[in-house]
Amino acid sequence: MLIKIAHNYYYMVAILLFIIGMHTMLTHSNLIKKVIAMNIMDTAVFLLFVAVGYTYGGAAPIVTAPANEVLYVNPLPGSLMLTGIVVAVSITAYALSLIVKIYRFYGTVDYDEICLIRSQE
Amino acid sequence: MGLTNHFPALILAILLGISFLSPILFRWVRKASAPALLLSLFLALVMAVYLLIQTTQVGEFSYYMGGWPPPWGIELKINLIRAYMLIVVLAVSLWIMVYALKDLEHELKTDVLGWYYTLYALVVASMAGMALTNDLFNLFVLMEICAISACAIISIKEDRACLEASFKYLILSAMGTGCFLLGVAMVYMVTGHMNYDLVNEYLPVAVEQYPNNMFAASALFIVAFGTKAALFPLHVWLPDAHASAPSPSSAMLSGLVIKIYAFGLFIVFYQIFPRSLLDSIPLNEIILWLSSMGIMFGSIFAMVQVDLKKMLAYSSIGQIGYVFLGIGLDDTIAMTGGFYHLLVHAIMKSMLFMCAGVIIYTTGIRQIKQLGGIGQVLPITMIAFTIGSASMIGIPGTGGLISKWYLALGALEIGRPIFVVIILASSLLNAIYYMPIIVNAFMQQEEFAYEVKAVPRQMLIPLIIGMIAIVFLGVFSRPVIVLLENGLQLFF
Repeated sequence: MLIKIAHNYYYMVAILLFIIGMHTMLTHSNLIKKVIAMNIMDTAVFLLFVAVGYTYGGAAPIVTAPANEVLYVNPLPGSLMLTGIVVAVSITAYALSLIVKIYRFYGTVDYDEICLIRSQE
Repeated sequence: MGLTNHFPALILAILLGISFLSPILFRWVRKASAPALLLSLFLALVMAVYLLIQTTQVGEFSYYMGGWPPPWGIELKINLIRAYMLIVVLAVSLWIMVYALKDLEHELKTDVLGWYYTLYALVVASMAGMALTNDLFNLFVLMEICAISACAIISIKEDRACLEASFKYLILSAMGTGCFLLGVAMVYMVTGHMNYDLVNEYLPVAVEQYPNNMFAASALFIVAFGTKAALFPLHVWLPDAHASAPSPSSAMLSGLVIKIYAFGLFIVFYQIFPRSLLDSIPLNEIILWLSSMGIMFGSIFAMVQVDLKKMLAYSSIGQIGYVFLGIGLDDTIAMTGGFYHLLVHAIMKSMLFMCAGVIIYTTGIRQIKQLGGIGQVLPITMIAFTIGSASMIGIPGTGGLISKWYLALGALEIGRPIFVVIILASSLLNAIYYMPIIVNAFMQQEEFAYEVKAVPRQMLIPLIIGMIAIVFLGVFSRPVIVLLENGLQLFF
């Protein structure tokens, strides 16, 4: 069992990162930290995907000659994750712009303080 | 033939195209921008109807994006259920847009209107795509487009409540899509495919080889779609987001956006997952109990609200529970009820939010207790509100009854009468919080105490159409029910 886990350590790392990201995102009150955590979470999934596509001893999947025996790395997860990164970037940009607007209204990026300000009104 | 073959892709192309064009049109030919959006929505609707007719004749068919067949390319698939979803999405969004044209001038700054059209077209395009796509990664991308643009049609109002609500919505949506992508990764690891049909083909073997992997994936899918569709314990973002948004956005979000994710869960459960997986893990049981809790608690929370739009938002949490109940009951009749409720609720909740929008537009009132006597000054609006509420409660002659009837029949057929009790109890709860508003609006003796602007005709016509649609769905339900029954047979 342990040897299996040690052999597939990259999956474990990805899941660990995912949990760290999700936990931080849901429990921290600082909005910027939430956005950072969201990125960690997304990156974890990207790492998992890219790790899935890797083949031991595989070459880069550029087919130049009819080479039959060569082992290639699966290019699909990599190209899919490029799309995923673009999506993550746009969500980050949008979230940060929202934070800027929220900061203009409240003068803070801490959710607890925002709640406090609202309750005092 | 020629062009008609490409209708599935053209629907998406037209909607995405208009989303790019409308800011430009708004800048240079301001008068043309709104008609252009309406026209493109209408064209898309016509194409969707054509697809429905085609699929009734030839059965299920596929469209390969760029001519690449799977496993290489993205496949769009059309069958009865998908065409039904497509028509619901396009028809309801066209109807809401007619109303929105007038209401938005009041709620938004004039110079952001062009951008609003962009975001609106993007939401509709991504939902249409979700109804059509047959590829998991494509679904992920469309979910993200839908999440961002759905948040943006809330935050475009730029007041404090909207910004906070949309941030909360964005964070929880991002969690949902993160979980979804991880689930897709789990599925991809064991099958090596993204196409629904190919995944479905390889999963039965994979489930036996890697059961833990699939347990994790199914849990992640439930969390992902549950968060997005506001399934009970994951609903926390919904009330703020739907209540603070501009009224057309609320109608859109409550009426359609949460439904399309329920449809996504249906596709994952019944098209992607093999039967053996659904039988070996009690996934449907989880959905059933969560949705029942949603039905009860959504109504109970709605009772204590003082803000009209917040009450409607909490009511949505209860009503989406019916759709999930239909999915969870795993029976053709119940699922027909669930899908029928999807259509009926899309119409009635959008109409109720429009009524709330008209009330806010003409009087500026949001509090429920200030609405006494409003029936005398806004008669048509309040009659529309009454019919919408009646349908929520499930009074005979409205669409709400039919869906509840089929859900209850389905629950009885698989021998779970407890869910009939839940449906009945929730109808009672619905009556408890909708009835006082209507009674107050019409029966109160005193004059309405606030100033009232005239209601523009453009806002009243959609309400009248909505009333007719709800009554029509309540009286002539047979065609839609037959369509759904035929469509659902493909999945059993």
